[in-house]
Amino acid sequence: MSIWDKILQLDRRWIYLMVALAVIFPLIVPMTFKIYITPEVRQLYNAIDSLPDSSVVMLTFDYYPSTLAETEPMSVAALNQLFQKNCKVLTLTTVPLGGPSIAERVTRKIAKKYHKVYGVDYVNLGYKANYVAVLKGMGTSIEAIYPTDNSGTPLSKLPMMKHIKNYNDIKFIFVVSDNGIVDYWISIVNAQYGIPVGSGVTAVMAPKFYSYIGSKQMTGLLGGMKGAAEYEILVKERGMAVKGMTMQSLVHLLIIGLVILGNVAFFASRRNHKKGEHF
Amino acid sequence: MSAVEMIQIWVMAFFTLAIFSFLYKDNPVYRVAEHIFAGLSAGYYVGLIWKSVIIQQLWEPMMAGSWWLIIPGLLGALMFARFWEKISWVSRISLAFVMGNTAGIFLISQLHGLVLPQIKATMLPLGGGGGLTAALLAIIIVLGVISTLIYFYFSKEHKGALGVTAKVGIWFIMIAFGAHFGYTVMARISLLIGRVYFLWNDWLGSLAHIF
Amino acid sequence: MRTVVPVIIAFLSGFIMIVAFFFNPDKTILGKIESEVLVWVTIVGGFTLLLGVVSITRVNWQAVKTKKKGWIYNFLTLLSIFVMAIPAMLPSSWSPFFGDSSGSVYDWLFNYIDAPMMGTMFAMLAFYIASAAFRAFRARNAEATLLLLTAVLVMLWRIPMGEAFLRLFSDSLPQMINNYVMNGVNLAVQRGILIGAALGAASMSLRIMLGIERTYMGKG
Repeated sequence: MSIWDKILQLDRRWIYLMVALAVIFPLIVPMTFKIYITPEVRQLYNAIDSLPDSSVVMLTFDYYPSTLAETEPMSVAALNQLFQKNCKVLTLTTVPLGGPSIAERVTRKIAKKYHKVYGVDYVNLGYKANYVAVLKGMGTSIEAIYPTDNSGTPLSKLPMMKHIKNYNDIKFIFVVSDNGIVDYWISIVNAQYGIPVGSGVTAVMAPKFYSYIGSKQMTGLLGGMKGAAEYEILVKERGMAVKGMTMQSLVHLLIIGLVILGNVAFFASRRNHKKGEHF
Repeated sequence: MSAVEMIQIWVMAFFTLAIFSFLYKDNPVYRVAEHIFAGLSAGYYVGLIWKSVIIQQLWEPMMAGSWWLIIPGLLGALMFARFWEKISWVSRISLAFVMGNTAGIFLISQLHGLVLPQIKATMLPLGGGGGLTAALLAIIIVLGVISTLIYFYFSKEHKGALGVTAKVGIWFIMIAFGAHFGYTVMARISLLIGRVYFLWNDWLGSLAHIF
Repeated sequence: MRTVVPVIIAFLSGFIMIVAFFFNPDKTILGKIESEVLVWVTIVGGFTLLLGVVSITRVNWQAVKTKKKGWIYNFLTLLSIFVMAIPAMLPSSWSPFFGDSSGSVYDWLFNYIDAPMMGTMFAMLAFYIASAAFRAFRARNAEATLLLLTAVLVMLWRIPMGEAFLRLFSDSLPQMINNYVMNGVNLAVQRGILIGAALGAASMSLRIMLGIERTYMGKG
C-alpha cells in the first residue's frame, strides 16, 4: 500500500481532530484580519440608517436554536442599530421550537442596554401557527392574528401598538431566518403590501437570495457569520460574529487543504494502480 | 459567577459534550441526551400551543364574546380523529381547510410575488446605463436563467439546440452549486464555532472560578 | 362524503383567498371573511403541532408498556415531555417556576438543555462536511472541476484571511467574485430554479384546490 493509499484511507476521526484543533487554535493565539464590507450588507445598514427617527420596524426571529451561532449575532446587531436610531421595534417569530424564547431573551437584553421600555419602545408578539396565514393576516390586522403579545397582555393595552394596525404602519421588515420563510416575506408581504424587506440568513440559504437582491425585492442581505460580522462592524458593536471570523478562516483553509490533499492522493494513487496493471 | 450560573454552564457543557461524544462512536450517554432532547422539544410545543393558541387565540377571545371561535377550536380537535381508524376520515375536514387556504394564498403569491418579478428582473436592457459590467452581467443572467430552466425541463429529450442549451446550463449550475457548497461549509463551521466558543470561554472559564 | 366534503372545503377555503386578493380588505365583506378565515387557519394550524406531540407520546408509551429493547430511553423521552409541558401549562401566578417567563422551569430547560443540544447536533455537521470534502470532492471531469474551483474561491472570499490572500493578486478580485459569481452566475441559476419551483408550487396549489391532488388526505 502506497503512502497515497494510506492518506485516502485516513480514519475520519483524525480529520475531526484537525477540525477541532483549527477552531481552538485562534482561541489560544489571537489573530486579527481586516473584514471588508460587501455591498449587500451596506445596503441593509443604509436602508435602516435612512429611516426617520421613531419609525416602526418589524424584526423577526425566524430561526431555531440550532443556528444561533449564525443568526443571534444578526439579531443583536440589528437591535443595536434599531435602538440607536430610536426605532420602535416589533418582534415576532414563525418558528415554534425556541423562537419565542430566543426573541424574548435577546430583545430584553439589548433593550436594557439602551434603557428602552417594553410596550413603549418595543413589543414582542411571540408565535402563532401556520406562517403563511400569519403573514397574510397581518396585512389586514395584526391584532386579529395576535390578540395579545407574547406574555398575554392585550395589544390594545400597549401604548406602542395604538398606532400600529397593519403593514401600512411598518416602515421596514428585518427578517432574520434560517429557513424558507424568507420566500414568503418576499412573495406575500413585500409583493402585496410593498413593505421593504431586508434579511439576515444562514450561509446555507444566502446564495438563493441574491436573486431577490437582483430583482430589488430584497433590500440588503447578511449571509451567514461573515455577513453578521460585517454588519457588527457597521453598527460599531463588535460581537460574536467578528470574534468567530478567525476561527472560520482557519477551518476554511484546513478544508481547502484537505480537498487539495484528497485530490492529489486520489490521482497519484490512481496513476500508481494503472502503472501496476501494466507490469 | 454565582452558583446558579455555574450550574447552568455545567449542565449546558454536559449535554454539549454528550452530543459531541457521538463523533467517536454511538454510546449510552449520547442516547440519553438524544432522547431527553426529543422529549423536551415535544414538551416545548405543548407549552407553546397551550399558551399561544389555546389560551391567547381561543379561550380569552371566547370569554370576551367571540363565541364563534369554537368552530376553529372544533376543527383543530377533529385532527385527533386520526388516532381512531373508524373516524379517522373526519380529520380530513380540518386538514382540507388548512391545505386549501394555504393553496389559495400560494397560487397568488407564487405567481404575483415570485414568477412575475423574477421574469421582469431578467429582462434587462443592454444599453441601459451601468457600462460594460452591467451589460455583461445582463447577458450572463439571461443566458443563465434560460439554460437553467431548460436543463430542468424534462418533457423533451435534450437533443439539438435544447441539448446544447442544457449543456450550457450544467456549466452555470456547477458554478452556482460550487458557490453554494462554499457557503454551506461556512454555515456548518459557524455552528461549530458557537459551541466550541462556549466550551472554551464559558465552561473552561468557569473552572478558573473553582480553582 | 369522506372525500367530496374535504375537497369542497379545500376549494372554498382557497377560493376565498384568491378572490379576496383583488379587493380592499378594509372596505369589503370579502376582506372581513378573509381576515376571519386566516385567524381560523392559525388556530387549526396550532393543533397540527399537538398532533405530532400526541403521536410521539403514543409511540414511546407503547415501547415502555411492552418493555421493548431500550425502553428506558423511551421512558426518558416521555418523562422529558411531561417535565417540560406540565409546568408550562400551569399559571405563573401560582409559582415563578410555572408558565413560560424567564425563571420558569420551561424557560430554564429550553435555554440550558434543549437549545445547547440542538446547536451541538448541527455543529457536528462541520466535522462531517470536512470529512466528506476530503473523501468525495474530486475533480473527476470538467464539470466537477468547475464546481470544486468555485467552491474553493468562494470559501476563500468569505473569510478575512482568504480575502487578504485574494487581494494579493488584485484588489478588485473579491469585488469581481461578488459581481460575477454571486450576483451573476449564481443569481441566474438561483432565479431559474426559483421560477421553476414557483411554477410547480402554483400548479400544485391549483391541483389541491380542484381536488386533483388528494394525497394529503391519506388512505381510506
